[in-house]
Amino acid sequence: MGIEVNGVNYEVDENGYLVNLEDWNEDVAVKLAEGEEIEMGEAHWDLVKFLRNYYEEYQIAPAVKVLTKAIASEKGMDKKEASEFLYGMFPKGPALQACKIAGLPKPTGCV
Amino acid sequence: MNPLPGGRHYTQSEKNIMSSPEKKWKTIESGPHTYEEALHPVVRKNYGKWKYHEIPRPGVLMHVAESGDAIWTVRAGTPRQDTVDMVRVLCDIADKYADGYLRFTVRNNVEFLTPNSEHVEPMIQELESRGFPVGGTGMCVSSVAHTQGWLHCDIPATDASGVVKSMMDYVYQEFKDMQMPNKVRLSTSCCSINCGGQADIAIVVKHTRPPRINHDHLATICELPKAVARCPVAAIRPTVVNGKRSLMVDEAKCICCGACFGACPAMEINHPEHSKFAIWVGGKNSNARTKPSTMSIVAHNLPNNPPRWPEVTEVIGKILSAYKAGGRPWERVGEWINRIGWKRFFEETGLTFDDNMIDSYRHARTTFNQSAHVRF
Amino acid sequence: MEGAKDASSREGHHCGGCHSEENGKFLNPTPMLNELESGPWPSFVSGFKELAERTKKPMLRGVLDQLEYSYNTKMGYWKGGLVTVDGYGAGIITRYSMIKDKFPEAAEFHTMRIQPAPGLHYNTAMMRELCDIWEKYGSGIITLHGQTGDIMLQGIEQDKVQQCFDELNQSGWDLGGAGAGMRTAVSCIGQGRCENACYDNLKLHLKVLKHFVGVLHRPEWNYKLKFKFSGCPNDCTNAIMRSDLAVIGTWRDAIQVDRDEVNAWVEKKGMDVLVNQVINLCPTKAISLKDGEMHIETRDCVRCMHCLNAMPKALSPGKERGISLLMGGKNTLKVGVNMGSLIIPFMKMEDDEDIEAFIEQIEEIIDWWEDAGLDHERIGETIERVGLKQFLDGVGIEADINMVTRPRDNPYFKAPY
Repeated sequence: MGIEVNGVNYEVDENGYLVNLEDWNEDVAVKLAEGEEIEMGEAHWDLVKFLRNYYEEYQIAPAVKVLTKAIASEKGMDKKEASEFLYGMFPKGPALQACKIAGLPKPTGCV
Repeated sequence: MNPLPGGRHYTQSEKNIMSSPEKKWKTIESGPHTYEEALHPVVRKNYGKWKYHEIPRPGVLMHVAESGDAIWTVRAGTPRQDTVDMVRVLCDIADKYADGYLRFTVRNNVEFLTPNSEHVEPMIQELESRGFPVGGTGMCVSSVAHTQGWLHCDIPATDASGVVKSMMDYVYQEFKDMQMPNKVRLSTSCCSINCGGQADIAIVVKHTRPPRINHDHLATICELPKAVARCPVAAIRPTVVNGKRSLMVDEAKCICCGACFGACPAMEINHPEHSKFAIWVGGKNSNARTKPSTMSIVAHNLPNNPPRWPEVTEVIGKILSAYKAGGRPWERVGEWINRIGWKRFFEETGLTFDDNMIDSYRHARTTFNQSAHVRF
Repeated sequence: MEGAKDASSREGHHCGGCHSEENGKFLNPTPMLNELESGPWPSFVSGFKELAERTKKPMLRGVLDQLEYSYNTKMGYWKGGLVTVDGYGAGIITRYSMIKDKFPEAAEFHTMRIQPAPGLHYNTAMMRELCDIWEKYGSGIITLHGQTGDIMLQGIEQDKVQQCFDELNQSGWDLGGAGAGMRTAVSCIGQGRCENACYDNLKLHLKVLKHFVGVLHRPEWNYKLKFKFSGCPNDCTNAIMRSDLAVIGTWRDAIQVDRDEVNAWVEKKGMDVLVNQVINLCPTKAISLKDGEMHIETRDCVRCMHCLNAMPKALSPGKERGISLLMGGKNTLKVGVNMGSLIIPFMKMEDDEDIEAFIEQIEEIIDWWEDAGLDHERIGETIERVGLKQFLDGVGIEADINMVTRPRDNPYFKAPY
């Protein structure tokens, strides 16, 4: 399974996540976002940058509460507003959409 | 809107998101389904005003309210793993005999409540003729708490529904009767996480080898620090294999719990021969007579042998026979063992105590016999 | 797959995805699974096969084929992923087959967790509607119920999930919990039939879960948090061990004794049984005979429920009823099994104000856990790591001797004097 960006084919899994995380670039992100019916605005890019920096430093995706705290403090919101803002940007959730578009590994597990 | 810290103002798209009067989705976030419309009118009338109950025969309860109204419950076993067709059959029975109401118990039995005592017998006949055993009440062997296994779970070492079917075929008569000293709760789990829960008798997978790591793919499918953090004995360390970032397991430290596998699918711990079964006894959630207790391991190294797991069901049979013969009224399995002592438990069930059953984990000392109480 | 090679060679010829014309049947042969059709207990295999033959849904055939393969190789072949509905970050348990080249019909087999009504009550209209909607979009396989308490609709493809959910949702159903947030709760039948129920657990369950519905659907805590609501200390929902917050009904005053019924009971069963099965089994020796009459010393009674279980007509819970809150239960993963421990010995639970006060207390407990807890740490594990005293200070609950079985037997604490 793959997506095509600027004439190059990139492998994605059945959930639409990049198989090779080194393939990520901003054009790929836009394509992944298109697949999620999301138009990348400034707030979206801010979040993608935050996710990628976090992953580079800590080798894990930030927990959702870390994400909402970051949004809350940057935008002067409370927790609930920050959570709604996050889902407003990514209606299917930060793990499913934000992490996918940011080129992070797929979160695991149900236990 | 106030400007943000640092004086930046919200972009238009941010404003759109924050001020849009309706969410993009039309979901009604209702939470649990409402219950009042699912209560029989006699139940609603006497809600919270019940006086006593009796068990006229196995599988049938009779509850009497302060008003004098009585309601009969017929309880029957189900596979838990049902189909819409099976559920529609239960609905037909509910419509015919229980005024269109039914419910399920925490242990997967179906219940039909009716104020008409003359519906009880025909309901029992119909349930039995459709293959649903009527029972599960009082001092019986109740049904097995279990989850998904190979049908659905992403980390199972075995199947769940198949094990349950094999166990319940074996103990079928004890489900329908009320001949045990007290209730016997069973559970089964397909990995060490033990989703089936504590029980009087539980059969739980036990892994016996450390995980096998897929170094080629680990870094792309797993978040390495998460897998490292999951290990309760700090046996996992980062490493590089074939030029790729990966993890290694200190096999001497590894306790084969499988926690890392849940975080990282590239650390496969399930094995068709080396993932085996252990049997546990003595779990009890109720506060009656003795405080709630966790279960203890009494057998292990039993093979994972689908489709009917005869070795495991044989051990269950031995434990149940000894308990049925030796337990006093009201003694749960754990209480029976406390009275007769573990030495007699192992003798009467024919199981073997070995040094692996001595606790070596976090609170081991609390299980040592810190006294001179001996059973000879 | 390593380790499965020997087992798979025993499996014999097996064609996945093509249907056998043998007897005009839709399904492929499943000899291992067929062995689970014999025996008196109702067989899930027979149920699946009957459903498959009636509906001819390829997913059912694929899943049975893959399950048969698992039975032969003794390995599982599902992997996780992320499928959600709009606005929710959890509730769909995603399952892709790892061997979809072998069993293309089982490529996707996602499960929808649906919250039932408290007490697992249904009327046939709502049950039939649920079944009809499910059959329309999914496999028709349904589990009643999962261990945490959800209805599980097993087997749907991701492009049908949103529509299926929307239709269920408009009929009054909502998704259950998953991930690091509030989870679906369980109640016993409580005041819906049981004379021992000390509070309206169905109502409390509904109100509490509605209050936390946001974080159930958009998880953002350290880890999961489960509630269970038992009507009395018999704890039929297994709350003490299977929930982080166990709400157990109790009473503060004397057990109510109906003397006539006690006499009737003794008349029927005999004095020996009263002594051996009731009096001798009281854990705190609170029951004695005085001039042949049964007497309960309330101050010694710990409300274990045994005598009420043994003499249901004669004894009933006291009049001053409410709840105890136990906290910290969790199962085996990582630290081992934890049972919940008593945090609030008694709270009135009679009216909406009581419920509000309860919810407020829970909010404080969760706020504390969010700050003090680590990622993937259950609340019971947090307590174990930082200490119960820290929790009580952080949440503003006063220490109560009922929280411990005994005071400490070592002197190692910093005295605040």
